Amino acid sequence: MKLPGALLVITGCVSLVLASSSGPITSTPYVWQLPKGFPKPVVPPDNPMTLEKVDLGRHLFYDKRLSVNEMQSCASCHRQERAFADDKPVSTGATGEHGIRKAMSLVNVAYAGALTWSNPALRKLEDQALVPMFGSHPVELGLDHDNRFLQNLGTDATYKRLFVAAFPGDREPVTLENVTRSIACFERTLISGGSPYDHYHFQGDDNAMSEPAKRGEELFFSQEFACFQCHGGFNFSDATVTARESQPRIEFHNTGLYNVSGSISYPKPNVGIHEHTHRPEDVGKFKAPSLRNVALHAPYMHDGSIATLEEALDHYAAGGRTIASGPHAGVGKDNPNKDRRIAGFQLTAQDRKALVDFLRSLSDASVATNPSLGNPWRVTQHASEPPK
Amino acid sequence: MWQVAPGNEQKDLTVIGLDSKEVRLSISDLDKLPREDAVVMNEDGTKTTYSGVKLESILAKVGAPTGRALRGNALQQLVMVSGRDGYSVPFTVGELDPTFGNLRALLVYRQDGKALFRYQGPFRLLCPTDKAGARSVRMVQTIRVIKLSPSKEPK
Repeated sequence: MKLPGALLVITGCVSLVLASSSGPITSTPYVWQLPKGFPKPVVPPDNPMTLEKVDLGRHLFYDKRLSVNEMQSCASCHRQERAFADDKPVSTGATGEHGIRKAMSLVNVAYAGALTWSNPALRKLEDQALVPMFGSHPVELGLDHDNRFLQNLGTDATYKRLFVAAFPGDREPVTLENVTRSIACFERTLISGGSPYDHYHFQGDDNAMSEPAKRGEELFFSQEFACFQCHGGFNFSDATVTARESQPRIEFHNTGLYNVSGSISYPKPNVGIHEHTHRPEDVGKFKAPSLRNVALHAPYMHDGSIATLEEALDHYAAGGRTIASGPHAGVGKDNPNKDRRIAGFQLTAQDRKALVDFLRSLSDASVATNPSLGNPWRVTQHASEPPK
Repeated sequence: MWQVAPGNEQKDLTVIGLDSKEVRLSISDLDKLPREDAVVMNEDGTKTTYSGVKLESILAKVGAPTGRALRGNALQQLVMVSGRDGYSVPFTVGELDPTFGNLRALLVYRQDGKALFRYQGPFRLLCPTDKAGARSVRMVQTIRVIKLSPSKEPK
């Protein structure tokens, strides 16, 4: 996925005079309603959270006018019912082009220290939003670089109101920068901490998790299985940042998913952070995503090449995946860059079920159904309601 | 391969001395020892009070050396704290002893006055002054005193 460098400095705007007829508008600071056990997320100082920006960002997130042919929105690949991830191995862009990686879940993305599978440098949601909007390898939303979509938004009565409310100090608030700021603010509100696991640990409900799930948790955190070493902490990911610890060292991992022949042991173009660092030892290294809500968004891994949780556990139990034939044939456990912690373990059928039950206990049904996180255009009765 | 049979809850802690002396301690046994509290800041900024006893109080039950007795070869002794899941962390007797390292290492069994959840209890090791949590052995099952046996004397 490549993005023209110049795009990062675009601050395109449309010449619309947007003013309030009812006097000065003030912003309302967003008050975090965090689940018990959750620390305060990091918020960039240049984009403080306000209710108005969150509301605007939510409208933009679900608006198909943010694609070249008005066929897709952010929500097309980050589907609420799938914990804001996709259920396809790789997503399809607005023009029908297939992506190369699985769309990650946006739930708890406010805590994500690295935002994508394999770009260590992309750490700010405001910057990341530009990739699906304008990226051309592959085309996702496929927006034109002339920012014509901003003109469309600027003529919409709902957006006129929302942009002015969100950026009351701006003479011309309908800008690309304000679009990405608002989307980032909305994405930071996608916080999930209402799973049976949370009820068990933080609400003191002893019956919230089943006995097999509790046993699965012990296995998950055991030295032998050691799943927690990469999927630890309150967000079950070692790529986590909080307001208290905003600059941790983020690790990327080669799990032995592939070991194809040749100098690059992972199938191109999905070669992990090597794509950006060009260091041989970084081939096949990807982010360890949060396991919260993982049962809601199969398939798994960066390329969606593992269909089920059971299959994922088998991969780790084997210490890497063996592919017997075909272009990706190879013994993953022998991958020279494999994380030494992926050493394999004995996995009985009973343990496998217990671990799957535990992983399922991390699902928060409310985040997948909460109307306040859903498509606002479904309830906004407005003449310029975007096409469905 | 360790196993936890559902419903077969651990109740006691086993402490094994250098002479293989073995003592089993229940929560009611630990309640008779001097109580220690530690307040820990959680990730969400809230605080939790853990209650338990000092590790040295438990080691005294199996005659581990302390104070003036900790000299020479006695300092080669280690205390291995092991969890039900196989996770083990060693401490030297010198690092724990008040006359040497004076590390505050607690065996806790209450969290804000309640029993620990099964995933970390019934006993957990807590080193409140550690910056990282990796020595906080959960589900502590055994505390064993062992002695290092250097294979060769230094030349």
